[in-house]
Amino acid sequence: MSFFEYLKIALPQIWVGLMITFRVSFVCLLIGMALGFPVALARVYGPKWLRWLVTGYVEVFRGTPVLVQLFLIYYGLPQFGITFSPFTSAYLAIGLNSGAYQSEYFRGAIQAISGGQMMAARSIGMTRMQAIRHVIIPQAFRFAIPSWSNEAVSMVKISSIVYLIAVPEMLYVAKLLMSKYYNVLQTYLLVGLVYLLVIGLMTLLLNEIERRTTIPGLEIAKRGS
Amino acid sequence: MEVLTVLIPYILRGLSITLEVTAVALGLGLLFGTILAILRVYGGKVLSGLLTQFVTILRALPHILLLLILYFMIARVVNLSAFWSGSMALAIISSAYQSEIIRGAIQSVPGGQMMAARSIGMSRFKAIWHVIIPQAFRFAIPPWSNEAAIVIKDSSLVYVLGVPEILRQAQYYSARTYQPFTAYLAVAAIYFLLTFITNRGLDALERRIRIPA
Amino acid sequence: MPKPEKVIVKIENVHKAYGKEEVLKGISMDVCEGEVVVLVGPSGTGKSTLLRCINQLTIPDSGKVWVDGVELTNPKTDIDKARQHIGMVFQDFNLFNHLTTLDNIMLGLIHVMGMKKEEARDKALLELKRVGLANKSENYPGQLSGGQKQRVAIARSLAMDPIVMLFDEPTSALDPELIGEVLTVMKDLAVGGMTMICVTHEIGFARDVCSRIVFMEHGEIVEEGNPDKMLNHPDLPRTKQFLGKITELH
Repeated sequence: MSFFEYLKIALPQIWVGLMITFRVSFVCLLIGMALGFPVALARVYGPKWLRWLVTGYVEVFRGTPVLVQLFLIYYGLPQFGITFSPFTSAYLAIGLNSGAYQSEYFRGAIQAISGGQMMAARSIGMTRMQAIRHVIIPQAFRFAIPSWSNEAVSMVKISSIVYLIAVPEMLYVAKLLMSKYYNVLQTYLLVGLVYLLVIGLMTLLLNEIERRTTIPGLEIAKRGS
Repeated sequence: MEVLTVLIPYILRGLSITLEVTAVALGLGLLFGTILAILRVYGGKVLSGLLTQFVTILRALPHILLLLILYFMIARVVNLSAFWSGSMALAIISSAYQSEIIRGAIQSVPGGQMMAARSIGMSRFKAIWHVIIPQAFRFAIPPWSNEAAIVIKDSSLVYVLGVPEILRQAQYYSARTYQPFTAYLAVAAIYFLLTFITNRGLDALERRIRIPA
Repeated sequence: MPKPEKVIVKIENVHKAYGKEEVLKGISMDVCEGEVVVLVGPSGTGKSTLLRCINQLTIPDSGKVWVDGVELTNPKTDIDKARQHIGMVFQDFNLFNHLTTLDNIMLGLIHVMGMKKEEARDKALLELKRVGLANKSENYPGQLSGGQKQRVAIARSLAMDPIVMLFDEPTSALDPELIGEVLTVMKDLAVGGMTMICVTHEIGFARDVCSRIVFMEHGEIVEEGNPDKMLNHPDLPRTKQFLGKITELH
């Protein structure tokens, strides 16, 4: 069949896959944030035992491949009778992974602000808790936006590995199409193009958000750069 | 524990492959990446622009997708084994990231250094070799250490090509013994050790060659 | 002047524009052997650009430059070879940060002039001694003060046996108390007969050792002449105004 005819069949399915990709990326990004920010606070302001614990979490999840983490949860946990669905396993594995990386960005932001701002807050009589709540946290968020938007883009890229545990995101759809129509290179390139478009648009959008909200200052290390 | 005695042979078999894949990917990635970086910085507008587009695309796509595409292209055209196709594919991907690192490092060297070198009569090539690169090298180590850890972890992706690296070996083990958690935990531990040693090692290197100030 | 004047640097009608802004509007100048020329003028009037046009670190849009009879603006000229004998000292020192002061000086001797290592080492030590920093031979630039760095930079250029030395605001980046040590080295060079072209605000230096002051503004030479004339009774009121101002401050 012609390429155009193939497109008519493939694109709708790829679109559905793309929605799943977005869903997984979005949920994992949120989980990562919900984990990452408290972990970062704990690492900067927490008692020694807590710091030790969360640093362990961060080092382990940053030091091992996300694919291994995924397999550990999806294939490994059943050894103890705990079985999660593909989606849940994906959310857990990638969410935990993202949490570790995001905690580093937030930690960098908090530490960059902490010194002077904390001194100023305490010097007007605020308690440590109040200072953290009213002075540090609001600024840390804005400070971390550039790194965080980089993480958002990374999420879309990383989420593709969940095709291996049968989560029907874009790459899974691609594999299905290929097994049916044997259109290997074309399908891959098509999916590749979609990723480029999506990531290109995301980058533009995020740059715009960045431009309007950030405080100019420290550059915090990003995941892959 | 008898678990260990059965597990360890699998692990070791996989570990050597994992290390080889990483070495090829990182090494060739460094070679291609350096060439890309030098061409992007000193290569003139057209070439530099083209290469930058190339690098941008490579960095925007999921690694596993790139791996599958490149594997498909390399294995069909050149008829290489899965090991070599996979390692080459990872090398190409890494070279894009490494070229960014090296380019950034070269551009971090103050512009006056090149001026000073030219002003005593050094040719452009000599200036790059004797003055720019030694300084850029030092700037590049921290981000390169990060990239090395990433390549170590990415080597797990060649699992999908059937390469018998450590993750694939763990899968074989768990298929035989119905102990997937043990298997994958061991794999995770190995990877953790590899990234840990690499990061510490490169930190030490950075401290040793630091320029006194 | 008992002996015939040998022109070391000849600049003929040099133009340079950055985008729409014309920074050099047809500068012509001859500098003879042994002359010490000081270029003064408000910031951004092309003085540094002119200096860099001499050794072609900046390539002029039009016009010609000769150094020691060789036309540097000719694309066929081996510019690297020509630069060996033109010394340049920068405002930001630009010492090679990854090398010791001794290695900084030896680098050019070994890799540009092809000297053997021992020979280069001896010469480098000699030059360091000349600027008073023989005891800092094993230090890295990061460990030196600004004045020390600049003196090493001067030694680095001197080691190449230049026929002319170009100084681009050599003391502008230094703390006031460190300026003196650099000016002393420069004065010794001038007295010793080195041909020098200096962009500087240090009027004291100009008054003491230079043979000609050139006042530039808006990319053109406004007026030039010997220090006595320029500082005490210049032709143009603008010259008097500007030189008067910087004499006050220095």
